[in-house]
Amino acid sequence: MVDTVPQQVSEPRPIALALRRAQTNLWNGLNWAWLDTVCQYRRSRIGPLWETINVLVMLIGLSVVSAAVFGSSVSDIIAYVGLGIIIWSAISALVIEGGGTFVRNATYVSNSTLDLELYVARSVFKIMITFGHHVIIYLIGIVFALVPLSWTSLLAIPGIILLFVNGFWVVTVLGFICARFRDVELIVRNLMQLAFFVTPLFWNYRQIASNRQFLVEYNVLFYFIEIIRSPLLGEVPPLSHYLTVAGVTVVGYGLAYHVYRRMSRHLAFFV
Amino acid sequence: MTHVRLNNVNVSLPIYDSHALRLIRLPSFSDVRVGSDTASRTKGVIVIHALKNLSFDLAEGDRVCLIGHNGAGKTTLLRLVAGIYPSTTGTVDVKGSAFSLIGGSMALNNDATGYENIRLIANLYNWPRDQYRSLVQDIEEFTELGVYLSLPTRIYSAGMQARLSFALATAQNPDILLIDEGIGAGDAHFQEKARARVQRFVSRARILLLASHSKELCRSMCSKALVLSKGECVFFGGFDEGFDVYAGLG
Repeated sequence: MVDTVPQQVSEPRPIALALRRAQTNLWNGLNWAWLDTVCQYRRSRIGPLWETINVLVMLIGLSVVSAAVFGSSVSDIIAYVGLGIIIWSAISALVIEGGGTFVRNATYVSNSTLDLELYVARSVFKIMITFGHHVIIYLIGIVFALVPLSWTSLLAIPGIILLFVNGFWVVTVLGFICARFRDVELIVRNLMQLAFFVTPLFWNYRQIASNRQFLVEYNVLFYFIEIIRSPLLGEVPPLSHYLTVAGVTVVGYGLAYHVYRRMSRHLAFFV
Repeated sequence: MTHVRLNNVNVSLPIYDSHALRLIRLPSFSDVRVGSDTASRTKGVIVIHALKNLSFDLAEGDRVCLIGHNGAGKTTLLRLVAGIYPSTTGTVDVKGSAFSLIGGSMALNNDATGYENIRLIANLYNWPRDQYRSLVQDIEEFTELGVYLSLPTRIYSAGMQARLSFALATAQNPDILLIDEGIGAGDAHFQEKARARVQRFVSRARILLLASHSKELCRSMCSKALVLSKGECVFFGGFDEGFDVYAGLG
């Protein structure tokens, strides 16, 4: 049994204990997400692959439209658009499903003594597993030589790790806030829709006017996409991209810590 | 040493479903008589005073049943002890690991089989790996669900789910066990087995808090009674006297 005694906030908790707790919750969250995936496969023949098909249909459609609008051939831009859409599917899932994390687990939150971090881990890992399915699309792209393959491609891995490391704080913050203020979830949904058009996914950020570059430069999501997309397209992302992402990570975890401290005790009242 | 000590505890539950939860304010709950002793309004949020001035001490070996009318605060008290609800004022001192069997706390995944659920709970509550086999065996024997354990729990009857939940909750011997109604769903045979299991559990000097309306169930598992009425403790002591007081509440 885990020690589930309510801890006094002022009581200093040894770092080793906190790390152990985090490790246990991550591992348990992964197990839970795995079971969720197994169950999803059980009820529908191809389970989470439906989402992969969704993404595939979306990226083909947008590539065709984008090629027509910007006057290039589909095979030239499908890698750029496709990778963008795949990464976007993970980002939007983290943001949108993140908001519902605690609300979805309401029965457990209000009745069991499990740690709240567990539900966060469950959500993030579930999204990660689904994202893993989308790798199939990438492999198809390689087979048909639509996506270049080089050693630079490996640089995408730290990018993906950074994305999901950020997923934990995004899900925590949005999970708490959306549980308390139910309208926020809908607002976030709307904003994500707007962000889809504002973020360079189906249009190339190099093509927009220089006096409108701020649209891209001030868009945090752009950097998260670039550190995964550009290595896969054979370009090494500039260091500044990584620094921006690292900065966002630090600020994000600070925010998550603050929100957790303020709201975790009362979460059972919100859900 | 396991103990539960409550000193002058008040628990107020904010009702965020009223306009306080929404950014756009809509009239709601306007007919709640605020200012009564059950509900009041603080900073625009309607607050239900679920537990008032509660003080008691539980020591190892205490088997207490919580009795009281619907809405008297039984579940709230269980959640308070489990650490799910914070106290508004007063001190809650709980020593020992608590396990709650309240409503959906067992996290039974409907599409997963009984065995998968056992594995999940084993993970979530960190059962020692070397004991896992024997604990599963213990659960198989206790629940008598046989082949059903290999089938999704969504097809289980309420009684069967209660069996599995109860078996899972008592498999690991937490220091403090908190049970809310749920196990009432089982049949007579199950009640008998559950009683024996709880006896075994409490014989290891732990604390049991059981909220139930069934006198037979309470009698078979508990030695003390705590009577709640409108969030206040009106009696804490012997079992029979407790039920007399409860009957007198009318």
